[in-house]
Amino acid sequence: MQRLNGGAKLVSAVVLSGAVLLAAETRKEFHFTVGARPTVSVTNQYGSVSVKPATANQVTVTAILRSDKVEIDKGQSGNRVDLLSHLLDGANAENGRVDYELAVPSDASVILSSTSGPLRAEGLHGDVTLEGANTNVDVREISDAHVHVKTLNGPITLTNIRDGHVEITSVSGNITLHSVSGPHVQVNSNSGWIRYDGDFGYGGEYYLSSHTGDIDATAPQDASIDITARSVRGKVENDFPLQPKHTPFVVKAGSAFAGTMNRAASSVKLFSFSGKIHLKKR
Amino acid sequence: MTCAEFQQVLPEMLEGDRNTEHAAHLASCSACSDLISDLKAISEAARQLRALDEPSPRVWNSLEIELRREGLIRQPQREPALVPSRARRPWAWMVPVAAVLLVGFGIIVYQRGSDQQAEMAKNQAPVAPAVAVLPASNVSPSHRSDDDRQLLEAVGTRSPETRAQYAVDLNHVNAYIQDAEQSAQSDPNDEDAQQSLLNAYDQRAMLYQMALDRSLP
Repeated sequence: MQRLNGGAKLVSAVVLSGAVLLAAETRKEFHFTVGARPTVSVTNQYGSVSVKPATANQVTVTAILRSDKVEIDKGQSGNRVDLLSHLLDGANAENGRVDYELAVPSDASVILSSTSGPLRAEGLHGDVTLEGANTNVDVREISDAHVHVKTLNGPITLTNIRDGHVEITSVSGNITLHSVSGPHVQVNSNSGWIRYDGDFGYGGEYYLSSHTGDIDATAPQDASIDITARSVRGKVENDFPLQPKHTPFVVKAGSAFAGTMNRAASSVKLFSFSGKIHLKKR
Repeated sequence: MTCAEFQQVLPEMLEGDRNTEHAAHLASCSACSDLISDLKAISEAARQLRALDEPSPRVWNSLEIELRREGLIRQPQREPALVPSRARRPWAWMVPVAAVLLVGFGIIVYQRGSDQQAEMAKNQAPVAPAVAVLPASNVSPSHRSDDDRQLLEAVGTRSPETRAQYAVDLNHVNAYIQDAEQSAQSDPNDEDAQQSLLNAYDQRAMLYQMALDRSLP
């Protein structure tokens, strides 16, 4: 009986502390009516930001605030909506956390930044700019738009980006591009690896570079590319039979290769200082 | 009512002060009617532009955090409110003052940098043109390490973990810069090395920007 009482006390304590936490948590919802091609920005210190497309000309924001140590500054200026997690005195990574979910018109341009929470945007055809320090980034189903990502750490994944103007810079985040194509795709990593799996589109410029991170590019046999790959100190491998082409540097077997495939519509440059580079056949 | 008379009362018209005589002239005169439409469109566009010029809340927040840290303002004793407005910012007058100070400081730093560059140019042997055009390649490693030390001290006030992470990232970035500089110097015509040097400095700039952005911890 005594043991039962002890267990009951423990359960009560857990339930009570959970209830206190839940009580401190606040859910807020905001609505903004906007015109065509609005701009929506969210600046969050701790917590996630997720953006999905909506059908109406309205921005709907659902925010979960973990405590009263953080508030949301929101404002609308014309066709621009700004949201900012405003940390108050005593806020930290736990009680200053805000998780945002936004539904925006699909032609909206979004600018999201977070230090540590994941950033996610999908289903848009407006420009997407994501920035964070230790941040997981997931961008998918974007077309006819600029996609700019800057992070220090944390993985970055781009999936199904069509006709994109893509620029990614990361210090040590691993970068995965799956079915990403467009007139301009530039990826600059330091120690994180870069993996590209796609057909390099038709007529774009692709520049993937790293300092020490490996670069893997997987393409189908009918990819139409003019490719140059070079690693200053790392190894270079190529699974495709390429037509030779002139290069401004001396091609050393194992550290560089260059050539064209099919109609050579897209220009592809892979460059690393000490990372391995591998052009793979799908 | 003639067109000339009508145009004399345009300002009042635009503010909505309109009588039956004005309305009758507008209905009968396409030139004045078009003029009113154009002025309204310009006025609306100007309003939109003013709205776009408003800095984002992130700028206000960074300034507020910095001013609070400096002790120039204190946490307002109020109920949490959601809408940021100029009325809520009694310290808003400091923003232009701070901006002027920042611009002045920037000019001094720029001039000093230019003087140092001129001095260095006098003392140094000519470098290959392709390397010389790179904007940051004249930042010496010792200057970099001084800057880095100050940066790490600044981020170290937040948490030891943050400092450690930034130290690792800075090491990565500086190694990248060093490799790219060596490659660019050994072959000034190496476009990949030139591009890598720009990329490496871009990463360094990004790292500094994120570290010093007070709205990001």
